[in-house]
Amino acid sequence: MNQEAAGIYFDGKSAAPQAVTIVLNTLNGVLQFQTETATVERWLLGELSFENVGTTLQLQKQQPDGIAILKITDSTFAAAILKFRKENKQIGWYEKMLASGMKFHLVLGLVILGLIGLTYVYAIPWVGEKSVALIPESFDDTMSGTFISDNLLFSDVASDKSKVLNAFAKELQLNNKKKLKFIFVEEDIVNAFALPDGTIVVYSGIVDKMQNYDELVALLGHEAAHVNNRHSMKMLCRNLSGYLFISAILGDANGIMATIGDNVNSFQSLSFSREFEQEADREGFAIVVKNKVDPNGMLNLFKRLQDEGDSIIPEFLSSHPVTKQRIATTRQLVKSTPQQVEANSKLQQLFQQLKK
Amino acid sequence: MEENVPSKMHYQLDFKGKGETFFGIVIVNWLLTIVTLGLYYPWAKAKTLQFLFGQTTLNDDAFAFHGTGKEMFKGFLKALLVFAVLFGIMGALTYLGHQGIGILVLYLGIFAIMPLAIHGSYRYRMSRTTWRGIRFGYRGDQAELVKLFFKWVFFTIITLGIYSSWFQMNLRRYVIGNIRFGDAEMNYDGDGGDYLLMNIKGYFLTIFTFGIYSFWWQKEIFEYYVNNLSLHKDDKRIEFTSTASGADFIGLIVINMLLIVFTLGLGYSWVVTRTMKFIFDHIQLDGNIDLNTLHQTEENYKDATGEDVSDFLDMDFIV
Repeated sequence: MNQEAAGIYFDGKSAAPQAVTIVLNTLNGVLQFQTETATVERWLLGELSFENVGTTLQLQKQQPDGIAILKITDSTFAAAILKFRKENKQIGWYEKMLASGMKFHLVLGLVILGLIGLTYVYAIPWVGEKSVALIPESFDDTMSGTFISDNLLFSDVASDKSKVLNAFAKELQLNNKKKLKFIFVEEDIVNAFALPDGTIVVYSGIVDKMQNYDELVALLGHEAAHVNNRHSMKMLCRNLSGYLFISAILGDANGIMATIGDNVNSFQSLSFSREFEQEADREGFAIVVKNKVDPNGMLNLFKRLQDEGDSIIPEFLSSHPVTKQRIATTRQLVKSTPQQVEANSKLQQLFQQLKK
Repeated sequence: MEENVPSKMHYQLDFKGKGETFFGIVIVNWLLTIVTLGLYYPWAKAKTLQFLFGQTTLNDDAFAFHGTGKEMFKGFLKALLVFAVLFGIMGALTYLGHQGIGILVLYLGIFAIMPLAIHGSYRYRMSRTTWRGIRFGYRGDQAELVKLFFKWVFFTIITLGIYSSWFQMNLRRYVIGNIRFGDAEMNYDGDGGDYLLMNIKGYFLTIFTFGIYSFWWQKEIFEYYVNNLSLHKDDKRIEFTSTASGADFIGLIVINMLLIVFTLGLGYSWVVTRTMKFIFDHIQLDGNIDLNTLHQTEENYKDATGEDVSDFLDMDFIV
């Protein structure tokens, strides 16, 4: 059984095309043709590599001194070659997978994307957070040291008021395992933050807005809860593992994808932080109650922060968003938790010192 | 006998690859890379290059990339070893309390292997590339490139970066000037000064037009790359010319962005095939080299280490 077609042959030594007549023996899968130098070439189909370029089938044969090429445009002849290869199981799993069609590839692509998404949303934060346990607490201190020297360099640390603030905190039980250190900064910023090493920085701007010491207790309780749960470190590990995962996946895609991925990661980390805020709210509330301080101070504090925040930063961009939901949750807690409030004149006195 | 006056030849570049074919390759690569925890990467890369080269045609004959996953896997392991040693040294120095020196050693090390990576990847990739069975080749000298590279780096540092324009153009001239296509030679004529002026103009016009000019800037960069290319064989030559306009680039870039964003990245394959098609549709060749007379001259070279080092460093292939 022989089939014949015209083809173009390149001998791998020169780029000059040679017109040849190829004969395919469909019994043993041999292509035979005569070159311009009158040599007879016999190519075994099983030894060739195949590539479709447009409507042309291109066969390549690795020869000791180079690569010889045979081009076939006759589609019936090309089909006969494909038929022989199929019947003789010369088509590997890879080629089969490529030939399985656009629909299959699309489904496969969506499944992979889905798996990547699920891993990113569920597995990576978990791994990131668990990896915190592997990081020694001493690293928290090192990191905070760098942060303090970088960020508080130009701030006006009030040492007298910091002493008062420390005395204030000493009157409280903050559930801390780690020694807490309080710094009071004279600056008109309505904020406070906690560093992993137990340093809690409070700005005069937020204290000036407060009416009663119970609000300051709520604030310190909230920040202490952040420290107690190593929230900053967890956040860092989550962000870092998320970032590593995304760059590993998109590594060889391209710049646009990497940028999108980056933004997705930072949005995701904002909702991480919200989750941590809620935890700190809950535990901060417990601290307030434990110290027999009026928990309504926490509500007042939130309202003040909310008034302050409303006009400036859209909620989804803020890392300390005071949402209606947080206020509602706290109000619920105030109602449902039995509490015993005792006025504390010492706290009241220290609070007044801080105010001016 | 009198030689015939060299007549003008006809040349046609094209890219025939279809987005959906490439999509299949990308997805299967993805799957296998994930299943093998990344080990498939060199094979995936070989498949990608085989497709991209194999679908690019000159006068309807395809280029071909003959590099294999196995060759690149070996290169991948060697590259991994190089980086492991560098990081090992840094780790050891950090452990001994010399963190600063450790980081310095790491950066200097990475810096020092850059010219080696450029040399290695060109050598490998060119020797594995053919057209009608005629191999490309890279004849640059490693020691010479290293010397030049550091000389240019030095100039760039002492001119506070201004020389980087000459750096890029000199490097391109050196690398491209050493590319052989059988018995024909590639050549690049770009000059750092012209390139700098073009980029300064592009930068300021882009700012003044709120970014709109960036497409024309892109067009000028492409033009500067393409129009300075030529191929020489004996006393004959082929000149490369870009036919792309700024508006063409708007079409390319805007649609590419939309394709990526609205398909969650799955449109990547079409972005690549469109871009390849765009590039080859907008390069016009004119000259008098008879392509049928090209002869095999370049050796077969199989070490893929440079290829993978450049991958690790995230360097683009065309410098």
